[in-house]
Formats: sequence, structure tokens, C-alpha cells
Amino acid sequence: MGFSVSGSAAIIFVGVFLAFSTAYTASADGFERVSDARSAVDEQALERQNTVIDVTNASYGNGTLSVEVVNEGATGLSVGAVDLLVDNAYRDNFTARTVAGSNSTDLWLPGERLRLDVSAPNRPDRIKVVSGPGVADVEVL
Amino acid sequence: MASVSASHLILFIASLVIAAGVAGTFTQGISRLSQGIDDQSLEVSEEVRTDIEVISDAGSPVYNNSSKTVTLLVKNTGTAAIPADDRFIDILVDGRYRTNVTVTVVDGAEWRPNNVVRLEIGGTDLSPGDHRAKVIVNGDEEVFAFRV
Repeated sequence: MGFSVSGSAAIIFVGVFLAFSTAYTASADGFERVSDARSAVDEQALERQNTVIDVTNASYGNGTLSVEVVNEGATGLSVGAVDLLVDNAYRDNFTARTVAGSNSTDLWLPGERLRLDVSAPNRPDRIKVVSGPGVADVEVL
Repeated sequence: MASVSASHLILFIASLVIAAGVAGTFTQGISRLSQGIDDQSLEVSEEVRTDIEVISDAGSPVYNNSSKTVTLLVKNTGTAAIPADDRFIDILVDGRYRTNVTVTVVDGAEWRPNNVVRLEIGGTDLSPGDHRAKVIVNGDEEVFAFRV
């Protein structure tokens, strides 16, 4: 009788041990996944707080619209992530897209001026520039 | 005496079988629960990473009166890619759920972070006045107010 009790206790113990190790791994992985996501979102919120852009000049002439935007924030932005809306139409066929005179860089650092040139058959009314973190500025021509 | 040993053996085997059954059921239950935690954490992390922003210029017209279409530009400002499919994007205009929606990524192939999609909401017969469009993606809600 005594041997059957210890045998069954051992089987149940092994079962509980296996179940606990599975549950622990799944919980730890899940917790880490969610906390990673939260930390990425926190970092992005900080980046957004540090972002300020200002359309300093927008001019139209000879079928080309030129927009100059200054990064007045404290964080570096990506040129590729900048969106330009001309009269609410999305434009990405830039004839020129330069930061401080260079068209090869993707970095738009604090204090630098981004120049966007697009062709426009008619004189537009409103221009909206949206940066990567979603911070935007509107200019009326 | 032999009968005592035989009954002991039967009880021993029976107790081992019952213990194995209990342990197996318990392990199976916990394993199912672990799978649930894993799936749930994946869903929660995707929800946390999802962030969208309606970048349409409210000062310009977003409603086309002749085609009865509202066009919104929505930027992915989160840290996860979102499927650019109308099954994953819920749109309400003035509180009414809209199904006639065309989703197009305007600056790439997929709706990755920093990419923009154009949502064309057809069949919206709007009267002059103030209107609201609500875009819901993965639990993230954005409201865009405009005037016709």
C-alpha cells in the first residue's frame, strides 16, 4: 500500500512540475513581449514630444512648388518618412528632396532645412508637411 | 497470502493509472492555458504597437460631391506593420459603419511604420455641414472631423 502511494505521488509531482515549467515559460515570454511593446511605444512618444517642424517658406513658380521646412525639434528625423500633401493630395514624386543641400542623406537633424520640390500644374492653396512621428505643419500659399 | 499480494498489485496498478490520468489532465489543461497566454500576449503587444494618425488636411475638401466619396489619408505612426486590407480597418462616418472602402498604400507596397494609406469611402451621401469619420485599427481609434 505504501509503495503505491509514493509511486502515484511521484507521477503527480512530475506532472505538476512539467505543467508549471510550461506555464512559467509562456507567462514570462508573454510578459516580455508586452513590456517590449510598451517600451517601444514610450520611446516613440518621447520622440514625438521632441519633434517640432516649421514650414518656413512655400513658393510656386514655373509649374514647380518649393517647400522649405526646418526641423525645430530636438530629435533627428528621417527624410523618407516625411509626407507632403498639396491641396490634400498625397505627393511623393519629388523633383528634388534635399537636406542642407544634400540629396543623398536620409537624416534630417535638428536645425537643418529640408527642401521639397514637386511639379504642380496649378497654383496650390494649402500645403501640409507630416513628419515621421506624425507631427505636422500647414502652410497656406 | 497469494491473494493479498494479487490485490496489492491490482491496487498498485490502479493507483498508478489514476495518478497518471490526473497528472495528464492537469498538464494538458495548463498547456492549453499557456497557449492562450501566448496568443493573448501576441495580440496585446500588437495592439500596444499599433498607432495611426489621420493626416488629411481638414482645411481642404475631403469629400467629393460628384462621386459621393470621402478620401482620408492615414499614416502608420506605430511600430508594427498593419495589413492594408479593409477587413482590418473599421470605418464609421457619422456613426454609420461603412463597408464600401478601398484601401491603397500610397508610398510603398505594405502599410509599414511611416507609410500612408488612402481610404476611399464610397457611397457616402453627405449633406452640407459638419461630419465625423472614425477609423479603428487594432483597437486604436482616430476621429477626423470635417465640413462639407
